[in-house]
Amino acid sequence: MPSLLEQQRAFATALLDAASGPPRMQVYRANTFGNWSAALGGAYPVVRAIVGAEFFEMLARNYARASPSTSGNLHDYGEQLAQFLEGYAQTQDLPYLPDVARLEWLAHRAYYAADALPFDFSRPTQARLAPACALLESAWPLLRIWEAHQEGGDPASVDLGAGPDRVLVHRPRWHVEVCTLRPGDYRFLERLQAGAPLGPALEAAVAADGAFVPRVAFAAWVQAGVITQ
Amino acid sequence: MARLGAGIGLRARHYADFMGGTRPAAGWLEAHSENYFAAGGRERAVLESLRRDYPLSLHGVGLGLGSAEGYSGRHEDKLAALVQWVEPAFVSEHLCWGAAAGRHFNDLLPLPYTHEALDLVAGRVARLQDRLARRVLVENVSCYLEPGPGEMSEGEFLAALARRSGCGLLLDVNNLYVNQANLGRDALAQMRALEPESVCEIHLAGYFAGEHCLVDTHGARVADDVWQLYEAALGLFGPVATLIEWDTDVPPLEVLLDEAAKAQTRLHALHALAA
Repeated sequence: MPSLLEQQRAFATALLDAASGPPRMQVYRANTFGNWSAALGGAYPVVRAIVGAEFFEMLARNYARASPSTSGNLHDYGEQLAQFLEGYAQTQDLPYLPDVARLEWLAHRAYYAADALPFDFSRPTQARLAPACALLESAWPLLRIWEAHQEGGDPASVDLGAGPDRVLVHRPRWHVEVCTLRPGDYRFLERLQAGAPLGPALEAAVAADGAFVPRVAFAAWVQAGVITQ
Repeated sequence: MARLGAGIGLRARHYADFMGGTRPAAGWLEAHSENYFAAGGRERAVLESLRRDYPLSLHGVGLGLGSAEGYSGRHEDKLAALVQWVEPAFVSEHLCWGAAAGRHFNDLLPLPYTHEALDLVAGRVARLQDRLARRVLVENVSCYLEPGPGEMSEGEFLAALARRSGCGLLLDVNNLYVNQANLGRDALAQMRALEPESVCEIHLAGYFAGEHCLVDTHGARVADDVWQLYEAALGLFGPVATLIEWDTDVPPLEVLLDEAAKAQTRLHALHALAA
């Protein structure tokens, strides 16, 4: 009798290979690929809307084979999609798609991130970004693409030639939001994220953007819950 | 925990019903552990609120107690932290495997009922119970294929697992029914092989009659035949805490509560008989 390990590896091979195994293996195949596809669609609703549901199903199957699930928690599934899309021949006509995927993964992680503690004004030098916050720089108008594919948005309104974007992903309470940052704010938050102390982060922002007013910006980001302890 | 009566699975679709101000009249709630592994956010806030008003059970779907390779200590760490926070009435996992060859399948895959599999699972369950400092319940899963030659029946395997590890059993009556239809395993005989005291919880759900076999979709009301089997289970094991599960095409909350009421009626009838 084969060992349990040998049996499970053989079962795994048959499950992944649509041409092998008995007919009922198809039930496991449908469950497993269905779970993966649903998890991927849940994390990447904008990518799914851009390519269409039918195409996304095929994309999800190809992704599942190329990029194995490594966690028993399906909320961890799909992290490599942006990287996968970089090399995916069938979406090369949508060069902005990997960046959209990057943004959606940050939003997905933000939804599950730790809640932010309120800023402690007695220790202002220990400012850092809230756990849900993330920054992304793209050659494409990411916020417009994102907004156009939210409920009530108009995908036809997106001007892909609108130029580059620097966005912030944050989660004020439970709902994930995305906004575009001016160069100074981007530099400031990016420095804080990299672990820079408050003073040098503000200085870097002023250097990057003459219009950046440190006191105003700092107060605004604390108020928004983006800067925390 | 017999006093828990009938409960329902907590699903995101019903969060608004639960968080809308008045608490729906559910006896108790079962949450999928992995949905609350996150460090923060809405899911955790919902659970934090509900744990004050309902008895809760944490039901894991991704640990894979029977995976010969790829068993994740990190997954266990997250479960342990969640259990410590929630302090649930029950902690349960599935008798299945989920990972092989460097990949997780995110499904409840069937184990052969062999001594090798029993040794592996009993050891894992015993260590998990030590770690959590509490009893864990292990649930029988639905099967579409015999994964390999067995050395004992499903019921004998479950009984031996409970005896050796000290775990409780979460008996999914619908899964027994599905396995009887798919693989010819006599559902009543499997139940009779169990020590009555080891059965701590019962699951009920609806199946889908597929092309090649019954599929455990958790996407319909409990079938009449399964209600009958449930009554037989109550006869054998007493008024065991019972849970209605629904995962595919989740209907309005009222439908789940209505199914739970049917289970509660049967539990009451048993109490009345005993009185």
